[in-house]
Amino acid sequence: MRKIWTLFKREYRAAVRTKSFIISLILVPILMGGGFAAMIIMEKNKDTDDKHFVVIDHSGLMTAPLNEALEQRNSEEIFHARTGEQIDAAYVVEFLEYDAQDPEGQRLALSKRVESQELHAFIEIGPDIMHPAGEEKEAYIKYYSQHSFNDDNRYWFRNVINNRVQEMRAAELNLDEAQAENLMWWIDVEGMGLVTIDKKTGEQLDAEKTNELQTFLVPYVLMLLMFMLVMMSAIPQLSSVMEEKNEKIAEVLLGIITPFQFMMGKVLGGIGVSLTTAAIYVGAGVFTLNYIGMESMIPMDVLPWFFIFTVLFILMVGSGMAALGATCNDNKDAQSLTFPGILPAIIPMFLIAPVIADPTGPLATTMALIPPFTPTLMVMRLATPVTIPMWQPLVGLLGVVLFTIFTVWIGARIFRTAILIQGQKPTLATLYKYAFKG
Amino acid sequence: MNIIELTNVSKVFGTVVAVNKLSLEVPKGSIYGFIGPNGSGKTTTIRMIMKIMYPDAGQLLINGQDDQFERLKNVGYLPEDRGLYKKMKIGELLQFLGELNEGTDLPNRINYWLERLELKEYKDKKVETLSKGMRQKLQFIATILHEPQLIILDEPFSGLDPVNADMMKDIILELQQKGATIIFSTHDMAMAERMCDYIFMIYQGKKVLDGTLENIQDQYGLDTLRIQSDMGTQALKGLKGIDNVNDFGKLQEIRLEEGVDPQKILAELLKKTRISKFEITKPSLNDIFIRIAAPARKEAPHA
Repeated sequence: MRKIWTLFKREYRAAVRTKSFIISLILVPILMGGGFAAMIIMEKNKDTDDKHFVVIDHSGLMTAPLNEALEQRNSEEIFHARTGEQIDAAYVVEFLEYDAQDPEGQRLALSKRVESQELHAFIEIGPDIMHPAGEEKEAYIKYYSQHSFNDDNRYWFRNVINNRVQEMRAAELNLDEAQAENLMWWIDVEGMGLVTIDKKTGEQLDAEKTNELQTFLVPYVLMLLMFMLVMMSAIPQLSSVMEEKNEKIAEVLLGIITPFQFMMGKVLGGIGVSLTTAAIYVGAGVFTLNYIGMESMIPMDVLPWFFIFTVLFILMVGSGMAALGATCNDNKDAQSLTFPGILPAIIPMFLIAPVIADPTGPLATTMALIPPFTPTLMVMRLATPVTIPMWQPLVGLLGVVLFTIFTVWIGARIFRTAILIQGQKPTLATLYKYAFKG
Repeated sequence: MNIIELTNVSKVFGTVVAVNKLSLEVPKGSIYGFIGPNGSGKTTTIRMIMKIMYPDAGQLLINGQDDQFERLKNVGYLPEDRGLYKKMKIGELLQFLGELNEGTDLPNRINYWLERLELKEYKDKKVETLSKGMRQKLQFIATILHEPQLIILDEPFSGLDPVNADMMKDIILELQQKGATIIFSTHDMAMAERMCDYIFMIYQGKKVLDGTLENIQDQYGLDTLRIQSDMGTQALKGLKGIDNVNDFGKLQEIRLEEGVDPQKILAELLKKTRISKFEITKPSLNDIFIRIAAPARKEAPHA
């Protein structure tokens, strides 16, 4: 144990003292959080140049309401309420008569104006928007632009037109304002958590409204963090061991320590590096969320599971990678073995969406109980607001412990045999031979 | 008492028998030289003694114990392929290897040996800044730092200049005087002759020589002549009873065929030339090595 500890200290110091560790400590969260940051920055720095639209109104009802709404938008809504700074684009709308002689020619001409960026989009409002029910009615709002699928500007036109049409229908029915409001009232379904009992005080706690951000973000962040820790500490074991083999350091060490001690010292060094990184990130996250008053987002009950599964996951993948590293002779061998080695970390990445959407569904449950995928998927499921039956993380943990013991055992056997063999290509047959025949 | 005992130990790599039913006894406190051509099985034997490799057959006792999976305690090992962490500082590397070897009083011992081997000024420098010879000395320090009782050196003198080789030789002899047992493999026959209490030669995986230098030479008898003459090798042409001539320019070493009388050779030579030196001697270790290894040499790739 003392020798493993000595090797652990060397591996740990060698890793955390490097500039690359410090740089990756800072850079990785920046890159991973970059997507969110970019979205926030984009949101804050919207394009404020005027946007030009053409409206062809077949109904003949929308010119006045749209003009009225446009005036309000361009004079009030696009400015920040407190600072008065313009934060959104003003709309400039040109109303065109429908060309009954050549409607296709008219649409083509307008499309060309959009292409040349003279216009942002053009809109056709159907003739029957007031009374859409019935056969052969033409009630539509068509929004023609280059990126209609994600062009949020179209929602402004949808809202203005629909609100105005509803008012006009109410007026047609001689409803007063209150009646019209009641008629149009849309009641949403509020997502609530469950009523629980406080484990410390025994008091009943009210159900809380589910937070969409929390539902998605917390499991996503924990999953990414675990993935990142595995990539930082377990995957590099392959090249590190290969380097020690090729630079003949392995034989020096194997004269002093057993192959198992050698492998464990290295893998535990990797775990030490990961836990340091995790402690820094989790600590910084908890501090930040407390500071901005969002401490309810901290999944305190999941964090112990996170750390336990992370340690086992790195032990599992790390010992596998160390064993594979011992079979490699050059970078080409290492490249061909890295991908299969990181599959346990990569496959769960493809399951983020279905697992978060239905954490207790058959797909999420089954995949989370397959040991190589258990650490990431189980933590992700536990981090959602949905209650996972307690037996599942416990059975998952047992499976991971057993599988990790198996990986370490088989890894040590491969490592022991392969570390001094030069020039032998690492194929499935040789791996099997090293593992079971020595 | 023997510190190492091998009984019918074999090791096979695929179809190549690297070590074949080898038996060997290394007495405590001795210097035992392992010689043999490249690929003959020296390193494999050493790796099995170090338990880096396990024998396929036979018994291997170290200090009377045969626990395969326990590392040897109180052993210093200098492998043939030198390897050190290039990015580590020299002092830190020695501390690390010393701790792994469970050494005591390491800071003082590190300073002592760095000074003794003229590396003290490099203590805070990285290994990658050292020359090949310096790295070899550094690795030698790492091998003996914890004052092991059994020291195994695989070709310790290769790559060293004569001054450093001599320095290392003196230290090895000093360690023996303090009670350590030393095994070293070498291709330097002169060094083996001068230093070793016992010499063991392995060839194609099999033991071909084992014993003191005197015992080994006695097996071959007085069949070697060292001659200096005015005519050099020309004087030897046409002489009967000569098995082999090793020409050193100013001196020729002659191996006689079995049963040939050296006096007859001397008489024949005196008819041809003036003789300034005529010595009847036992064969050198180098000559014995060549006699065994020269015919039909074949290297085993894995051994």
